[in-house]
Amino acid sequence: MGASQSVFSEEELQDYQELTYFTKKEILHVFKIFRDLSPRDVDRDRNVKLNEDLVMSLPELKMNPFKDRIVRVFSSEEGCLTFEDFLDMMSVFSEKAPKEIKAQYAFKIYDFDGDDEISRDDLKKMVLRLCPSQKDTELKKQEVDRLVGEILKEADLDNDDRLSFSEFQHVISKAPEFESSFRIRL
Amino acid sequence: MDYRGNPNGYPDPRGPPEQVQMHSVNPGYTEPTHADNGRPPYVIDMHSGIQDLEDRNGGEEDVRYLHARGSRRNWAADNQRDATDLINELPSRQLEQIASDVAKGTIRRKKSKKSFHGTVRGHHDYNDLAASLSRDPDLMDEFDGETRTTEVLRDMAVKLTDKKEIRNNISNSRQRTLKRGIQSRRPGWWKRTKYSIGIGWMHFKYRLAELAYSLELWRSLTKKIEGHFGTGVTSYFMFLKWIFLLNIPIFFLTLCFIVIPQIVYVEFQPSAEAVAAVVAANNMTNVTTTAPVVTTTAAFTGRELLTGSGYFTNTILYYGYYTNGIVQVVGDTEYNMKYAYLLTGGGYYILCLIILALSISRSYKKNYIEASGVFNFYIVTKVFCSWDYNITSPDAARLQHKSFFNEIKEFLSGKKLDGANRDFSTKCKWFFLRVITNLIVLGSIGGSAYCIYYIQDTDYIKNSIVILGKLAMPLVATGIILVLPFFFTRIGKLENYQKPQTELYVGMTRTMLLKAAILGVLAYFWFNRATKEDEPCWETSLGEDIYRLVLVDFVFTLISTFFLEFIRRLLGQYCCKRLGDTEFDIGRNTLDLIYSQALCWLGTFYSPLLSFIMSIKLFIIFYIKAVSVLQNCKPSVRAWRAAKSHTIFLGYLFIFFLLAVVAVSYGVLLVPPSETCGPFQGQEQAYDIVTTLVDSWEGDLDWLHQIFKLVSSPGFIASVLVAFSVGTYYMRIVMVGHKEMVKLLRQQLAMEGRDKAYLLNMLQEVSRSKKEKLRPSTENRILSPTSATSMESLTSPGGRRFARTMAETAAANTPQQSPVPSRRNRRMDSNENLTSRF
Repeated sequence: MGASQSVFSEEELQDYQELTYFTKKEILHVFKIFRDLSPRDVDRDRNVKLNEDLVMSLPELKMNPFKDRIVRVFSSEEGCLTFEDFLDMMSVFSEKAPKEIKAQYAFKIYDFDGDDEISRDDLKKMVLRLCPSQKDTELKKQEVDRLVGEILKEADLDNDDRLSFSEFQHVISKAPEFESSFRIRL
Repeated sequence: MDYRGNPNGYPDPRGPPEQVQMHSVNPGYTEPTHADNGRPPYVIDMHSGIQDLEDRNGGEEDVRYLHARGSRRNWAADNQRDATDLINELPSRQLEQIASDVAKGTIRRKKSKKSFHGTVRGHHDYNDLAASLSRDPDLMDEFDGETRTTEVLRDMAVKLTDKKEIRNNISNSRQRTLKRGIQSRRPGWWKRTKYSIGIGWMHFKYRLAELAYSLELWRSLTKKIEGHFGTGVTSYFMFLKWIFLLNIPIFFLTLCFIVIPQIVYVEFQPSAEAVAAVVAANNMTNVTTTAPVVTTTAAFTGRELLTGSGYFTNTILYYGYYTNGIVQVVGDTEYNMKYAYLLTGGGYYILCLIILALSISRSYKKNYIEASGVFNFYIVTKVFCSWDYNITSPDAARLQHKSFFNEIKEFLSGKKLDGANRDFSTKCKWFFLRVITNLIVLGSIGGSAYCIYYIQDTDYIKNSIVILGKLAMPLVATGIILVLPFFFTRIGKLENYQKPQTELYVGMTRTMLLKAAILGVLAYFWFNRATKEDEPCWETSLGEDIYRLVLVDFVFTLISTFFLEFIRRLLGQYCCKRLGDTEFDIGRNTLDLIYSQALCWLGTFYSPLLSFIMSIKLFIIFYIKAVSVLQNCKPSVRAWRAAKSHTIFLGYLFIFFLLAVVAVSYGVLLVPPSETCGPFQGQEQAYDIVTTLVDSWEGDLDWLHQIFKLVSSPGFIASVLVAFSVGTYYMRIVMVGHKEMVKLLRQQLAMEGRDKAYLLNMLQEVSRSKKEKLRPSTENRILSPTSATSMESLTSPGGRRFARTMAETAAANTPQQSPVPSRRNRRMDSNENLTSRF
């Protein structure tokens, strides 16, 4: 990968290494994946903004029901991702990222309307994405409502009908499966 | 004209509101000034309320930061403010504030004692963040500041580009601080050395991480499996890799300290005839003869690979080959093989013990302790943590959706907890059934153990057919181990457990019990054989038996993979559709791995190259299983709880390790070694060399001798055990106390939530009554949609409408000042000020 190595100076690689959870080789690997999305554009300008749809076509993201939320959370400008955003995204999803930062980003991803709270609507949307309305995984409306009610009953400690970040964090810290499932391996 | 409050809080288009004199409202108010240091001004000094936060946050800087946030929406200055906005501005709603509070509590790292706020992605106001970070003296430190800043920044949920900017800002301000001559005394040499050591360590860690990344085994294959099957199946392969990596140091230890010196010795030793001649010539008696190494006399035929004996008997493969002499190659240095053999054996067992103990404690802490407590989060965890982000194939994704759907359906239909509903007679029936099934299981285990013993004991089978005779015992043993677990799972289904998890764990425990019983019987047999006279070298026979067991186990794994996965897939596809999809049985395969590793631990002392054979076997098995899984199996619909199972598998591994160590220690301490072969020949017990060594210290190294005697005395060991027990008990008490605390805090939190709702209701009334005063018209009776939604969001559904109507009626009449029973008297002061003004 001599070509991509000359794209970054040693100092830049050092910066990336210190500010993410990757080593230098992994950063170059991530860059290679990013570049393969649209080689001409990336070769022309390293800081090019790639379209969201292009990033969502990555095999690691394609089957994910939350892929648009993931890309939206990490993008700096509306609808596109630069390489640094992409690197940030992969760093949070890597194995070495601690649970706390994963929980923060998970909260942002699942907060569909972006109001720093996971409300009933957010939960409904989430459940519908996890159980898409195809013939064998369709949930009836009252089932969804009941499910959302159960979730809030369990997790909403101060009874304000929505999950704040601390309640979310409280749940996540009790779930050991979170770390292993909220991970994308490159 | 209808009055409609504006939820966004922008000024009402119909005209500017009556300007509120803030001084009259709040004495603590200061006029907004634009300070020249770029920090935004703060509008309201709600000092009373902020005091609490200040104490909690422990720093004036944080207080000012909060003010800075609040200033962006001049709250009280604009009395069109609605309760919704107030709710949005509550400190508990500010994501970053919570994140930093939580982070401070949970991050217990030695280096960074504080953690900081992060800004919500998308806001470009990193200047505030940089400013607040620059006020921390730890980060402004001349030497360590850079590294500490980087660490703190790395853990914040901020964009990467922003992180770089913030870091540059902070370094600039650091440079400015230094330039302004705020150098205290010159940092001593200690600080500088600490800094350079820290930097060196960090570089070393990075280089190590890079090395680990480039050497990472089987990465692409693991990724493929993960994409298709998810975390459950991958956990098996990760476990395999971990055991493989565990065997490598064992192999290197034995290689360096035992095998190579032995080879060197063989090359350089005087021949047997010369030794015999010298002995005869000088008529020496009382010579500890270093037994001449019997080089192999049998020819190499292919059979040896199967039986492990014949040609292999007198090679480095087995204990019997190793000399008890002294290797002297370079000058005068002596390398005593006896000590080397024993100490290396002890060494790798201790190494394995440390590694296992660390892994299991870490895993237990992560998966059980942190996840325990009030187990209330069943469905929330399912919804938030069930989607495996590793999945890349469409089939697996579809199966995940289906599995989630099934679980939700099961949950909603209330099948989860059924225990209380069973009446007494059913419980009795199931109890007796389970007693019977357990007896059957124990009986079958006992029967198979006796069978193995019988086969080992009778010589008839051994002598009838040459190869098969020797292989009889391994074949039968491995056959039993292969077949009985299926029988156990079938029995488990009969027992009708409520949770599938329980059924799984019971089945696994029974399988492990069976394997332990068989190994136990074999160990008993082997150590008993030592006392019989007809065995020239019982350790070598032991080694050969274990070699055969390992080999047969390997062959049976291959055969079972072939039949259970490949043939079954073919059958399922072409003839019996009823069989369904083949799934990869994670539990059974992992237990097989644990059994093989236990064999390896049992046998390495008597057959030093066994760890090498084991590593090769694991390597081959990885590829075979990976290919088989990818070709034949489909992902399972039922989710596999990888995290908890990992702890349990490590537990089984640890138990088997302890059993193996106990067996080997028994062999070393209590069984007399054979007379004519091996490093410990001619001694009462293999452990004797240690006691002789210790006794030899009595002369010159007396203090060492005394220490050793003290440490191995029963009093010392007993007191150490008592200290451990006391420590464990103390930890347990602390844990129980914490659980109680958690319960109390939850209740308190619920109460606080209700307090908040109540207060916001009061505020709602107040602002409504105030609006009424300004616009006395009947429109006040019309509810603004925003206030409706905000009130709805506060209280429970039932009382909502009632409360709303009551509040509306009350507010429509006269503004009144109701007494507020709350602990937060100080906060209420400012509200009472408001009411009294209007």
